[in-house]
Amino acid sequence: MNIHEYISSGVLEAYALGALSEQERAEVEKNLALYPELRSELAQIEAAQEKMLMQAAIKPRAAVKAALFEKIPDHQPRAKVVPLRPEQNNFWKYVAAASIAMAVVTSYMAVHYRGKWQNTEASLKGLIAQNQRIAQDYDQVNDRLDRIEKDLDVFDNPAFRRVVMQGTANAPASMAYVYWNEQTKEVYLSIQNMKELSKNNQYQLWAIIDGKPVDAGVFDADISGLLKMKDIANGVVTFAVTIEPRGGKESPSLETMQVAGNVVKG
Amino acid sequence: MSRLKARDRQALEYLYDHYSGALYGVIFRILKKEEISEEVLQDVFMKVWDRIAQYDAGKGKLFTWLLNIARNQAIDKTRSREISKDQKTGGIDNLVNRIDNEDYIEQRIEDIGVQEILKGLPREQQFVVEYLYFKGYSQAELAEEFNIPLGTVKTRLRLAMQHLRTTLGAT
Repeated sequence: MNIHEYISSGVLEAYALGALSEQERAEVEKNLALYPELRSELAQIEAAQEKMLMQAAIKPRAAVKAALFEKIPDHQPRAKVVPLRPEQNNFWKYVAAASIAMAVVTSYMAVHYRGKWQNTEASLKGLIAQNQRIAQDYDQVNDRLDRIEKDLDVFDNPAFRRVVMQGTANAPASMAYVYWNEQTKEVYLSIQNMKELSKNNQYQLWAIIDGKPVDAGVFDADISGLLKMKDIANGVVTFAVTIEPRGGKESPSLETMQVAGNVVKG
Repeated sequence: MSRLKARDRQALEYLYDHYSGALYGVIFRILKKEEISEEVLQDVFMKVWDRIAQYDAGKGKLFTWLLNIARNQAIDKTRSREISKDQKTGGIDNLVNRIDNEDYIEQRIEDIGVQEILKGLPREQQFVVEYLYFKGYSQAELAEEFNIPLGTVKTRLRLAMQHLRTTLGAT
């Protein structure tokens, strides 16, 4: 090792100042033990450092000394006890430090997780509400599906006869269907196109049997799917719809006839 | 020294009377607050009392050992108080801020004290000594913050200490 270079690098000054890392420090201490020149150089640096800092001294208040020596035990402990003391001291210091650290960490976590919990609760409420909406929608869809399935049973059943009721001169664009099961007497109505009526009026379905109109029930224009009407017995020739006051009448106002269709014998 | 190692209270008292001023000078200039500095000074001597068995004369003078403990303790304190860099920096804006500070006058007098001791040194060497000893900077911090190569910081400190050997008559 080039002693001169080592000295002029300034490493000994940094060592005296206490500005080296543990590793660098150990390195310098190893070299100090090996080279007397380094030791004498260091001694001079230390002396200059001490002189400078002695001159820059600031006298602490007398109370500081009193407070300090109150903490230092009065009686000189026996030599054998000496090595234990620092460890004891440190032990309790570590215990205290650990407790404080735990307390700080715990408080932080408490706050942190409370925030998280509140967020979670809010999103849970949102999800529950959403879930209820979806359940309602599902019920509605399910109801519709049930209705459509029932309607399909009617459409598919060969015992039902479909009667197409075309628009009359009163309402050429109107159209509706009747599904009639002669055996069970069930009658269903499906609207293809019927205009909206005023609140006071309703459509009324008639079955013409032996030239006489028989009431088959009233309906509005806004129904969807199949509407079950009154049961009708055999012998229907024609189905027809008239406009009547709400609730219907016993005999039809034939001049208001909207649609009509003959039963085609199968 | 052997009395101190045997943990003689009087020996510690002697040490305190002899060195507390020099150590307090360093601690107070780094921390700038009397109450905290006093607390740190007490901690330093408690540490000395607890660790005196670890002192090894082969590794340096007793004062060097004391200084290292005091300086480290003071620097630790600045970190634990999370004192920001700008408080450490003694730039112009800081000087303006410090005028409002109650300990401004006290501060100024002490800075003059250090400057008096270092007045024979070239400015750049004064700067390095002041920051390393009395502002608690590490060599790396000083190099980084003021854009001086680390090697230059080290040689400037070396030149300053050589200079002080002659001016302070410590040979």
